[in-house]
Amino acid sequence: MRIKIGNRQFSINWRGYLQGLGLVVLATLLGRLLSQLFLPANIIMIYLLCVVITAIFWGLGPSILVSILSVLAFDLFFVPPFLALHVADTQYILTFAALLLVGITISYLTSRVRRQTETARRRETETATLYTLSRNLAATISLESTVHTIMNSVRKTFERNVVIFLPDVQHKGSLNTYTDGSNINIDENDMTRARWSLENQQKAGYGTEVFPDAKTLYLPLNTARGTVGVMALYISDTAPQIADEQSRLLKAYADLAAVAVERTQLAEEARNAQILEAKGKLQTTLLNSISHDLRTPLVSIIGGLSSLQEDGLDLDDLTRKSLIQVARGEAERLNRLITNLLNTTRMEAGAMRLCLQPSDIQDLIGAALEQLSGRLDTRSVKIDIPLELPFISVDFGLVVQALFNILDNAMRYSPTDSPIEIAARQVDQQVEIKVVDRGIGIPAEDLSKVFEKFYRVQRPHDESGTGLGLAICKGIVEAHSGHIMAENRPGGGTVITLTLPATPAAARTTDE
Amino acid sequence: MSNDKPHVLVVDDEPPIRRFLRAALQSQGYVLLEATSGQEALSMAVANKPDVIILDLGLPDIDGVEVTRLLREWSQTPIIILSVRGSESDKIAALDAGADDYLTKPFGIGELLARLRAALRRATRVANEPIITIDNLTVDLVKRVVSVAGAGVQLTPNEYDLLRVLAIHAGKVLTHRQLLHEVWGPQYEGESHMLHVNISNLRRKIEPDPARPQLIITEPGVGYRLRVN
Repeated sequence: MRIKIGNRQFSINWRGYLQGLGLVVLATLLGRLLSQLFLPANIIMIYLLCVVITAIFWGLGPSILVSILSVLAFDLFFVPPFLALHVADTQYILTFAALLLVGITISYLTSRVRRQTETARRRETETATLYTLSRNLAATISLESTVHTIMNSVRKTFERNVVIFLPDVQHKGSLNTYTDGSNINIDENDMTRARWSLENQQKAGYGTEVFPDAKTLYLPLNTARGTVGVMALYISDTAPQIADEQSRLLKAYADLAAVAVERTQLAEEARNAQILEAKGKLQTTLLNSISHDLRTPLVSIIGGLSSLQEDGLDLDDLTRKSLIQVARGEAERLNRLITNLLNTTRMEAGAMRLCLQPSDIQDLIGAALEQLSGRLDTRSVKIDIPLELPFISVDFGLVVQALFNILDNAMRYSPTDSPIEIAARQVDQQVEIKVVDRGIGIPAEDLSKVFEKFYRVQRPHDESGTGLGLAICKGIVEAHSGHIMAENRPGGGTVITLTLPATPAAARTTDE
Repeated sequence: MSNDKPHVLVVDDEPPIRRFLRAALQSQGYVLLEATSGQEALSMAVANKPDVIILDLGLPDIDGVEVTRLLREWSQTPIIILSVRGSESDKIAALDAGADDYLTKPFGIGELLARLRAALRRATRVANEPIITIDNLTVDLVKRVVSVAGAGVQLTPNEYDLLRVLAIHAGKVLTHRQLLHEVWGPQYEGESHMLHVNISNLRRKIEPDPARPQLIITEPGVGYRLRVN
């Protein structure tokens, strides 16, 4: 390598040689000026100084030239007979030899120091970039950001476009491609070469023995556990060479990238495993809770119906009627529970597609009341909706369901002779709907929890709730970027406030 | 049309549902015809000319919406759709294809009987009835006059047309698209905002309590219907 660097300087550093030559000329002129004052032996020191300067600034080649030129100049201009190569005093031969030897030694030593400094400086830069990369990589969490951090760093350091291929975890055999944002067309050939490099865990493409015609260099990202991917570096026509020290740095980058990719992949695997486990636990808990709720009504239904069917039982009309009534009531409760469960599942699966349409608040409330109509007839319901209320862009069916659940709660948890009040008003860019009852209220510590799934306020003799109604309301309202809140009413009762954004109706489009 | 007992064609592939409908409807004096698939339903509708069809949307062979469409190519027999909750778009598609009414499973028999009676009444009603009366509301289609409890009500031309369309099809669910098409024209089928505003205004003029409508009933996400007595 040393020779190579020497060669390269030799081939390009003509300036250094010329400057060295100039320096010798200057030294000679200076020597001539001072020759009246100093002995020739001291003039030699000026030449040695030139050798040192040349070696420090222009390298080995020029300084050797300067050493030789110095000997010649000293011979021609300071050793008699002047301007002739032969010397009268043979002791000067020794001086020449010493000057040449010292000059060359200085040249060699100085240039070696210089080269070491250069290497150290380069290593320092490399270490700094690698350190920056590894620090940046340590901060990344997702595979995506890891890959992009690597690509950004490689592109900045090597000034080349880079593509990273990673095997798809879900689909065995296929490769995911990550580009650095530049317009690179990745064709089937690229994929084939990347796949070869991945499978054989070897370099391929430009400058290697495999696919040497390619304009791309494929570096496998190897770790102790195997190859996690392939990094492809694009060799543009303007900068065709990858120098040896660059290639070494590239290898370091590839190793760092490999470890980082492996780390994120392992972290993601661990996270997925954790999520799966948590999901499993939750599902078991839910299943236990639900199966109890599902079976309870079935007990009365099956029990009641089998009693009616039994020949040996002598039931009077009143008993038969009551058995039928209980079975019907429980069947409806079961239906409510299943509907709520399905809605919850749909909301959680993200399958709740909002079909937004401009809706009249009065119509929403009217439709919710209509669904309760049979049970509402005996109740006094006060409705306060200002005429000028804007239309809101909501999924009509879903918001009606949310209102239905709130009204249903208000009815079930308040005395039959107490009034239920519904009021709507506009507050800034939002519409607020309040449902107010004079019921038993909600204990203060439960106010925020009532919207949680399967949460029920602990009360004796409360069998009919599912613990899902308000959770569904919250889900629906939040899907509309709205907000729901429960408060206790001064003097007893509950206030449920539902806030939905009011966007100008004219700007809306409909989904029908 | 049979001369005495109305014939009902029940199309559902679930035996327990057919059984429960058979028991309930026969006891109410209906003659029951049963089909378990779309194909069977179509051929039975041709062969037996039922007075009303109860059609489940989830059939094993042909989609219920398609059955409705095929029936409507030659028949005006009232069709009542049975659908499960959550399939609003199917419901709307079936109504747009010409179905008269829908019920969401599970439903009480009382509700089904009421819908059946209303559908049969609409089908047998003399078509050119000039004056329609519901509760206190009277719509005189000839004079284009609307009154509530004897007092005249001023309606805009669009409000009147909307009420007229609802009144002609009283009891039937009309989808948003159908109403917009009938009142404003086919190019306005997407402008549901216009429809809701007019419904809201109409309610203020004819409903005793617009916040709890008794005449113009909202079918959430589907459309509107004018309630019949």
